[in-house]
Order: sequence, then structure tokens, then C-alpha cells
Amino acid sequence: MTPEPTSGVAVPRSPGVPIERLTIRPRFRGRELGLLLVVGLTITVGSISLGATQRLAAAGDHAPAITALFAPADLGLLATYLAALFAAHALLVLSGRRTDQVILPTVGLLGGIGLLLMERLPQSLAGNLGGLAHTQLVWLLIGIAILSALALAVRNDAWLRRYKYTWAAVGVGLLLFTFVFGRDVNGARLSLAIGPVTGQPSELLKVILVVFFAGYLSENRPLLVEESTKLGPLRLPPLPYLAPMVAMLAIALGIVVVERDLGAAMLFFLVFLLLLYVATTRVSYAVIGVAAFIAGGAVLYELFGVVRDRVDIWLNPFSDATGAGYQVIQALHAFARGGILGTGFGNGLPTIAGRPPIPALHTDFPLAALGEELGLVGILAILGLYLVLIERGLRIAASAQDEFRALLAAGLSLVIGVQAFIIAAGNLKLIPLTGITLPFISYGGSSLLANSVIAGLLLALSDRPPEARAPTPPRSRVSRLLRRSG
Amino acid sequence: MDPTVLAIWVVRLLFLGLLYAFLWAVVRVLVRDLRAAAREPATELGRLVVLDSPSGEPPNGSAFRLDAVTTLGRDVNNAIVLEDDFVSATHAALTYRGRAWYLEDFASTNGTFVNGHQVTGLVAVAFGDELQVGQVRLRLERPRA
Repeated sequence: MTPEPTSGVAVPRSPGVPIERLTIRPRFRGRELGLLLVVGLTITVGSISLGATQRLAAAGDHAPAITALFAPADLGLLATYLAALFAAHALLVLSGRRTDQVILPTVGLLGGIGLLLMERLPQSLAGNLGGLAHTQLVWLLIGIAILSALALAVRNDAWLRRYKYTWAAVGVGLLLFTFVFGRDVNGARLSLAIGPVTGQPSELLKVILVVFFAGYLSENRPLLVEESTKLGPLRLPPLPYLAPMVAMLAIALGIVVVERDLGAAMLFFLVFLLLLYVATTRVSYAVIGVAAFIAGGAVLYELFGVVRDRVDIWLNPFSDATGAGYQVIQALHAFARGGILGTGFGNGLPTIAGRPPIPALHTDFPLAALGEELGLVGILAILGLYLVLIERGLRIAASAQDEFRALLAAGLSLVIGVQAFIIAAGNLKLIPLTGITLPFISYGGSSLLANSVIAGLLLALSDRPPEARAPTPPRSRVSRLLRRSG
Repeated sequence: MDPTVLAIWVVRLLFLGLLYAFLWAVVRVLVRDLRAAAREPATELGRLVVLDSPSGEPPNGSAFRLDAVTTLGRDVNNAIVLEDDFVSATHAALTYRGRAWYLEDFASTNGTFVNGHQVTGLVAVAFGDELQVGQVRLRLERPRA
């Protein structure tokens, strides 16, 4: 066997450092294109359904011409949104990376459903850029831009991995800043106003927390798996090595609880537990964590009136049907009115005095509105879309090159999944209601931006460098020839 | 029924149908992707975990990733070196053939045992089986994904 001339000792090459190729060759993304076409068709049909229902209701007794009736509700909004989705697709094609082809269409469909919902709700509900739907569209466009920018630009994760404590500090700083300078909305101090822009830093903090947890766990995983603290018969996790994570979690939870952002607190804790389990595969950690969660919940129930109210409403909303339990009961009614097939887009939710019966419909209760207008069938499809995102994330994690990337991908997709679960289950009165947004559907800039960052990072993480690809076996050409002839 | 209302209902049901058409298309992609991943050869074929090792080399609880051919013995040229007085220099070998693991004893002085039974020649071993080589007890485990 003759040795290759380039791999001799005389020419030292560091095998670990891949050589950056500067030539970028576009790669056709057929699956993504196909799925995006289905998404475009779906959103267009949804928009026509909404438009026809609204026009028929507005026309009253005079039935309008059938061609005028069946047109999209707002052609400009629809066209802009779809154009942005296809532009993102074109960018990904031009970048030539081997990134995931399912995430963009799935996120696009969720965002489109959200946009249709915002078009359907009273436009005066929120938004300062010409109504609810137009504001949401602007945020969606910015979100798609962030998603594609991250998917194109993030080729290296060192800036996330190396500065994990810096990121953690930035996150805690943001929260503290919000606590001091933030505004109170509905008794919770969540939003921070910088000039004309208001935002909810806890949305961004969830991304930062996952980055920190993934960085810490990937570095200290062997210690966490092998060592353990013994307390009598109990085998506890090795407390000294867990301390930084627990401290970070405690700071985040403490601030969030003081700000009375219970949904975010629950989200952070559950994601922490899930990531710890993913990293160590120790069931005992999960059991201890759930026990701590229940104990913590009991303590919070005693200490905070907000928590007590939420739990009491959950147990019996009808005890105060016109007051505290009002929105939960209205949501249940909405689901019941929707039934299996729903009332159709634009046909549900009789407004009371120009406002929908549920106050925070566009942020906290979009699932109730969708449950009424699309029915059980529609809701199940939407939950299926979140499952697809989780599956993709875990798949990316399973095929990641190293532990940091694996834990980061798993954590990011679990954040979306857990958040969707918390708010969906809260709307359905399965668990106490906590105010948190439904990812990609709810109205709100911070939520859309944070979730776009997550989707963009997932896309970037799914990229496989060319040298990691398995070499094509020589028999493939033969089998292709055989298949063609046979 | 009013034809206009009927037509609107058709559009509504079409929207719901398209949602499921998208899900179906996605699931098809996912299944194809998972099948392709399952066809890829795993990087690891199995693991050998040290249950008990009186000499401390290899240490208890340590695990070895197994190649298709893994030799065990006291000699330093073995893939897994067992520093035990009751282990022969070239003691035994684990080989992966087709889809199963096989253990072969190289006429060692003190023998090789699978779940307490002495091995003569070549025997198939399954994941979870306990091997004894000299005084060292090991367990064959399935590869980590």
C-alpha cells in the first residue's frame, strides 16, 4: 500500500481543524420547497375561508357575488408573509448548507395560523403599527429574518459554549433590570420599555438558560454521572458539581417568582429537569426534581397570593365565575362551542361590546380561539406541529457531533415543547393557568423573536460539515444502474 | 341549505384537510429520515462493562467500546488488557459477526465463562450476558446511541 504523499510526517496537518471552504455552492432543498408549497396553499385557503365568512356576515341579506366572496381576507398581509417565507427558503438554498428542511415550513405554518387569528380578532386589541395583524406581521417578518440570519451565519458554537457564564450573567442582569425599571401589567412585572420598544426579557432568558445548562452539563457530565452524594440510603446527585446550575436556576426562579411570572418559572424548572435527565439518564434525578417541584409549589402556595388564586381557580373556576374564574370559564365555553370541526375561521367568538370575551385572547388564550374556530380536529393538528418540532430537535440532538451541540439542540426544542404544553394545558384547565405565550402563534414581539432565535439555532445546529458525511459506497452506482434497467 | 354557506363549509373543511396534508407530508419525511438513519452503521457495536476486577486494572465500573474484533488478555497487545494473575497472555476474543457477538476462548489456562458456564471453542453471547475471564467479571451491554 503506497502512503498518500500529503499525509506524510513531513507535512504536519492538524486533523481536528476543518479547512473552511470559501466557495458556496447552492444546494437544492426539495423537501423544504414541497412542504412550503403545502404551507402556502393551507394559509391561502385559511385566508379565503376567513374572508368569505367575514364578507358574508358584513353583507347581511344581500348575498354578494360568489367571486367577490371567495377571496383572501387581506391579500397584502398574506402575500407579504408568504413572500417572506419563500425568500427565507431561497436564502437557505443559496447558502448551500445541509440544514434541516422541516423546521422552516413547520414554523411557517404555525406563524401563518397565528397571523390568520390576529386578522380575525378585533384590530384594536393591541399593536401600534396599524392594528393587531399588521403589527404581528412586522414581528413575523423580523422573526423570519432572524431565523434565516442565524441559520446562515452560525457555523461555530464556541461563542456560545465558551462564554456560558457571561451569557448567564447577561440573562440575570436583564431580569434584574426588568425588576427595577419594568412596568406592571396585570400584577406581574414582566415587560421592559426601552424607548418605544417594550419587551419581555424572560422570553430571551429561556434561550440563555438553555445555552448555559448545555454548556455546563456537557463539560461536567462525567462527574454528574459517576459521582454521587450519599445521604443515608438515598443516592443524591453530586451536589458540589450541581451547585452552579442550581444557583443559576435559583436566581432565575427567584427573580421570576418575585416578578410573578409563574409560567416562565415553571418553564425554566421543567427544562432544567429534562436537560439534567437527558445529560445523565438518571431517573432518580427526575424523581427528586419532581418532588422538589411539588414541595416548591406547596411553599409558593402558602407564600404568594397569586399562586393561591391560580390554583383555587383551577380547582373550581365556577366559585367566582364573573371574577377570577371568568377567563378560564370562557375558554372552556369556547372549546365546547367549537366541538369537533369548529365553527370555521371568523365565525366564532361573538364579541361583547366590541371586545372578545377572553381578555388576553391574543397572547395567553390563542388556543381557546383556535379551538372554537377550528375545533378538536384543528387543535390536534396544531399540537401535532409542535410534536414535529420536538422530534426534529431531538433528532438533531441525536446526530450532533458533540455533547454541547446535542444538549443545546435537545434543550432548545424542549423549551418550545414544554412552553406549548404549559399554555395549552392551562387553557384546557388541565393544569393551573399561567400566563405564557403559545410559541409562534401568540401575539407579541418578544415571544416571536425568542422563538425565532431558537428555530434559527436549531437550523444552524442541524448542519453537518461535508467531511462528517459517510463516504458513498461504490456499490451505490451499481445498484442505481440495476434499478434503472430493472 | 344555502349554496354559499355550503361552499364556505367546503373551504373550511379544505383548510382542516390541508393542515393534515402538511402533517402527513412531514411525517413521511421524518419516517424516511429515521429509516435512513437506521441503515447507517452504528459507530459503536457494543460495550463491555467491568463488574468486578480484584486487581483494580481495569477499574470497577469502567466501560470499553467494542470494535468488531476485540481481544482480551494480560498481554499489552490485546485490545482490552486485564491485569489479573489468572488471565492468560492471549486469553479470549469477542467478535461481531453479522448481527451477533461471539466469544472464543484461546485455550486459556483458567478458562472463560459465560453466565457461569465454561466456554469451549466459539459461543454466541447476547447483550446482558456476564463474562468471567480469570477473576475479572464483565458484562456485555448494547451500544449507546
